[in-house]
Amino acid sequence: MADRVYIDADVLILGGGTAGCLAAWEARQVGGDDLKIVIVEKAFIRHSGSLSAGMNALNMYINQGTPEDYVSYVRYDICGAPIREDIVLSVAREVNDTVSILEAAGLPMKKKEDGRYLNRGKWNIEVNGSLLKPITASKAYEAKAEIYNRVYITELIIKDNVCVGAVGFGVRDGKFYICRGKVTLLCTGGAAGLWRPNNRRDAHHRIWYFPFNCGSSYAMCKRAGAEMTSFDMRLVPVRTKDTFSPTGTLAIGMGAPMVNALGDSFMEKDPYYLSWGGHTAPTPIRMLAFQRETLAHRSPIYMDTTRGDSAKVIGLKGQYLDMSPSIVLYWGCNDHDPSREPIELDGGDPHLVGAHAGMSGAWTRDISRETTVDRLYVSGDALGAAPSRFISGSWTCGRIAARHMVKALKDNSYQLLEINPDTLDDMENRTYGPMRRFEEKSPEGVWTDGTLSGGVSPKDMESRMQKIMDEYCGGRTHWYFVNETYLSIARKHIKRMRNDQLQYLCARDLHDLQLAWDVINRLDVCQLVIEHISFRKETRFPGYVNRTDYPETNPDYDCFINSRWDAETDEVKCFKVPYQQLVPGDRRKQSI
Amino acid sequence: MPPKVDPTKCDGCQGEKEPLCEQVCPGNLMTMHKESLKAIIREPGDCWDCMTCTKACPRQAIQTVLQYQLAYFPGKLIPMVGTNSVTWTSIDCNGKVERFVMKTLVSGDDEDED
Repeated sequence: MADRVYIDADVLILGGGTAGCLAAWEARQVGGDDLKIVIVEKAFIRHSGSLSAGMNALNMYINQGTPEDYVSYVRYDICGAPIREDIVLSVAREVNDTVSILEAAGLPMKKKEDGRYLNRGKWNIEVNGSLLKPITASKAYEAKAEIYNRVYITELIIKDNVCVGAVGFGVRDGKFYICRGKVTLLCTGGAAGLWRPNNRRDAHHRIWYFPFNCGSSYAMCKRAGAEMTSFDMRLVPVRTKDTFSPTGTLAIGMGAPMVNALGDSFMEKDPYYLSWGGHTAPTPIRMLAFQRETLAHRSPIYMDTTRGDSAKVIGLKGQYLDMSPSIVLYWGCNDHDPSREPIELDGGDPHLVGAHAGMSGAWTRDISRETTVDRLYVSGDALGAAPSRFISGSWTCGRIAARHMVKALKDNSYQLLEINPDTLDDMENRTYGPMRRFEEKSPEGVWTDGTLSGGVSPKDMESRMQKIMDEYCGGRTHWYFVNETYLSIARKHIKRMRNDQLQYLCARDLHDLQLAWDVINRLDVCQLVIEHISFRKETRFPGYVNRTDYPETNPDYDCFINSRWDAETDEVKCFKVPYQQLVPGDRRKQSI
Repeated sequence: MPPKVDPTKCDGCQGEKEPLCEQVCPGNLMTMHKESLKAIIREPGDCWDCMTCTKACPRQAIQTVLQYQLAYFPGKLIPMVGTNSVTWTSIDCNGKVERFVMKTLVSGDDEDED
């Protein structure tokens, strides 16, 4: 048995990221000095997660118009598909207030002569966000949250559909952490690394999304029996080739158009793309256009920085240093001057995100952020059906969740719940399973390279999963195309990995144990993705998921696809949930 | 783009419970080599290139080097972290040097300068 650490909290926050830190801060504001707020983080909160490299813009800010106009834009940007307008609206109403809080915390904002924030396009504002994460974390410190760094949460503790807390292991100390909360917020990010990445070997993590976000939010919610939503809507990034750096800086910041090998600005020529707005067409449509041009042998595809605003090219390197410094080094090493040569693009491995141009996550009740499991809340990328909240919206979502959590805690006088000792023993066994198996199997035989003859490493299991997803669930090598036959093969293999192969998963040390849980979580999310895509018998997000057997949009699927996992049968049961339009207007058009 | 550690500069952050790069790495990749007592990356391919370790190293012992499959030798990008700014020095493959000073934090002290 491992040494145990018991932590009790009023408000338990799992994941000290964008949403988690601001949730802690807000909980202190509304909950008062006596509230015990705990954050459990798998890395170190000053530098962890998606913000670790910095960010040069906040993509959600109401520069103009109203919160309703923002909802209209978000809806349009995913091709008019259903979104939770109530949630997006709630964020849009207070996102500006949140940004001012972060500015006061030291975030350098770029400003215009009149003192207003410098906008980038309609909804973005530019920042010097190289220290975005430490500044975000400072709000959690300011709130005097009790912070546990380097603790990897493996499972939620659920009793009769109520969340009691969570367990995990210390990445450094190896101890078994048992955390209880009167209310629990799960915000451990989205999922990268399900599909095989473009770069191989020593560059395999050179991907757009943060590679250490393994979908644990989704996997833990799923295993807890929570209702999940929109795993049929993954994000496929078109980014700078090789480095997969963000392209908003080029497209929105300097108006650089996408062009093909012939120099044609195809978004402005093809009537279909023009019908969607041309250059600024919805994110999936721009992805689709990239794919079509490539498959029509008019690649390579570029973002033409030579045609953009030349004054802005000068500032380009600085902007990337605030967010994705690797591309500046890449240009230097490859003798590339973006003012003289266009920047080549590529399509990367799909990611699942709730807060960017994707909307996978847990389904929540009204705008409380409470999942269908009582006392379990989600925010950031873990929150489903509400895309385009980005960083500023995720901060805001953390705040809103915290307010609802503190209110529920006080209104209902929630108390900590007891946990059956046998349940804890079982959870401990599962948590350390891969490492204990390594010890058990070592005497059975070790090859000369140090690998076990009777086990499989987390890395090997990850490679197998990524190959299956890439080849049978619409990865990059298959240009994101799927059909029912492919999906049935993916289903068969992922099922076999989850039900038969995990018994061989062995971890040699605590770092390896982290990787083992990453792959366990990713496999759980793969199952959700396959079942959701299979259930949506249409193509609603062309460019993201291209169904060759159902290439058109079908009005019967103008709804959310939600699901619940049945632990007894290991089936993911999908069902339709109706969409509610709150902001009137044509869903395929922006209001401003 | 794995971080490479210069053994003549790295002292394993003597006196700290663990080296600073190990404390800050979001991927739990930096660790202390048991024999040399200097920092090393467990698995170079697992790095996301956030450069947090490179910026955090108190002895500038870490250099972020692009994978050769992506970029030619020898370019360099070196951050020098100040209180409210970071100064980046880019030396491209032809030896051309560019410097960028990027603001990182607005503190009470420097508001007057704005």
